[in-house]
Amino acid sequence: MYKIAHHLAWLNLWRRKARSLLVILMIIMSLSGLLALQGLYDGMITHLINTTIRSDSGEISLYAKEYRLDKSLDHILSHVSQVEEELSRIKEISTYSVRLEQEGLIATAHKSLGGTLKGISLENEKSFGRFDTFITKGTYSFGRKNKGALVGSALADKLHLKVGNRLIFTAQDANGEINAISFRISGIFKTGNPSLDENTVFVSMENISQFLGLTESATQIALRIKEADSIKKVQKELQILFPYADILRWDELYPLLIQMRDIMDIFNLTSYAIVFIIAALGIFGVILVSVLERIREFSIMLAIGTPYKMVRTQILLEASFLGLIGYIAGTFLGWILLIYMATAGIDLRSFKAGLELYGYSAIMYADIHFYYFFQAFFAVFFATLLSVLWPLHILKRIKPIQIIQGKML
Amino acid sequence: MKLVHIYKTFYPNTPKEVKALTDINLTFKKGEFTTLSGESGSGKTTLLNLIGGLDTPTSGQIFLDDQEISAFSETQMAKLRLKNIGFIFQAYNLIQVLTVRENIGFIMQLLKFDDKEIDARISELASILQIEDILDKLPGEISGGQQQRVAVARAVASRPKLILADEPTANLDSKNSERLMRMLRTLNEKEHITVIFASHDKYVLEQSKRIIVLDDGVVIEDR
Repeated sequence: MYKIAHHLAWLNLWRRKARSLLVILMIIMSLSGLLALQGLYDGMITHLINTTIRSDSGEISLYAKEYRLDKSLDHILSHVSQVEEELSRIKEISTYSVRLEQEGLIATAHKSLGGTLKGISLENEKSFGRFDTFITKGTYSFGRKNKGALVGSALADKLHLKVGNRLIFTAQDANGEINAISFRISGIFKTGNPSLDENTVFVSMENISQFLGLTESATQIALRIKEADSIKKVQKELQILFPYADILRWDELYPLLIQMRDIMDIFNLTSYAIVFIIAALGIFGVILVSVLERIREFSIMLAIGTPYKMVRTQILLEASFLGLIGYIAGTFLGWILLIYMATAGIDLRSFKAGLELYGYSAIMYADIHFYYFFQAFFAVFFATLLSVLWPLHILKRIKPIQIIQGKML
Repeated sequence: MKLVHIYKTFYPNTPKEVKALTDINLTFKKGEFTTLSGESGSGKTTLLNLIGGLDTPTSGQIFLDDQEISAFSETQMAKLRLKNIGFIFQAYNLIQVLTVRENIGFIMQLLKFDDKEIDARISELASILQIEDILDKLPGEISGGQQQRVAVARAVASRPKLILADEPTANLDSKNSERLMRMLRTLNEKEHITVIFASHDKYVLEQSKRIIVLDDGVVIEDR
């Protein structure tokens, strides 16, 4: 019975070729567009999260208790070498970066602004998050005398700073004294993380420690974790090891990124709903018209003893063929689009200023995940099922004799 | 087949009420070649529909092989029609996307006949009904007379106990009507299938062994 239903469904699908092809085309276009958009949305968020992790938070960061509420040098991590020794024993940690920062006044010949001076080790930051790739001008170094500084691009613009210019940083040291220190700009960086690009100057750890009168001290120790699955486990382990510190994951430090990801998920869900409705309406239209114009044929089939379940199977298969062909072709086209957008990216440099304001890259790359294709399959599958309910209801209700009677009575 | 005190009323208890059949009592024996005759609206097609299980009587009982089929559910009735009854309609009603061969074998396939058996039966019927050369054509590609012969082949292919034919010659010219009746008669005699027509075609009446005349839903003559 299934064999005949399958045969009839396939033949009937091409009875009105243009109509069937139009619906298939509709599914292909909406599905491939959806996949491309979903990959792009996810790619945008992934880019933001990655640059934030690479440039600042790592997967986990350690801070002295209360430091994040009151950024004073009274709340810093001390005996850093001991902390580092403990960290090196945790096998899930791939690398870490020790940072010491102080807020103060950054002054140039043109202008003065509030900002943050952050001490880092260039080598550590390179292995931590390939920070060298964020350099847009100058070099990834602190100069021959280690007196150089790397300045965020937005801050450099505000202060009219160029590579080779000098800046003076004034701040309170650990003893409460106001001190100043000067640096020559060796490089300008752009991470996409507005909090860094707009107000941070990176200098060597030795320089800032000396300037602040501190040794063996840090305001933040950021960690990279080998496997994403073990982040929470490492966090718990660290909370036991360092009860005097705040141990925070990247998503706790940057809740806005999670909110943005949630918003993108809503966009994706909305897009799925649109595709679902397009596919369902398209298939529904074709199947309904197809059933109505063949109502006499179905009546005859039922009259001569064809079981209703065979007719139902035939209709379901007709709808499934439409959905399946649309799905296969749509996901194939979507996959090609995703591959292109994941490798070549989409060049949105004409919107550069606006995008960078929110930390997005001007060239956007798409993500590709297998679950996109599963989600799309279920959207089309349920659209197919839903679209045949009403036509099947019509067929279930008809009394073959009433349809045939027009001629028989 | 036995019909006992059959009544059929359309739109009962409404201003549009129509008494289509009144107290019909008939028995059909195996191998009969019978025509239900009468003017338009006399109730012959309604009676044919009740015999074929396409409609249910308002009251009364219909028995086939001592089983009361008038009490069957729709699913049971569909099974009964599939296994025991072949239908020939006035408007041929072939499945347009299937070839002549597939149309003839359709019911046999539903009944899960062996493929070889289906092929053999199609060849046999094609030979009797002289449609061998159109087996691979679609219904839209053949004439009305040929389509009606294909409909006959489909109806008799699975060797049902009963063939019901509603005005089978209505859309055919005299030559094709004659040919069709001759073929149905051959099948009736060769395969002992009971055939019941609803028709007022003179040629059909001449060929029938038994004629039941209906007038206003009542049997007025049975000869």
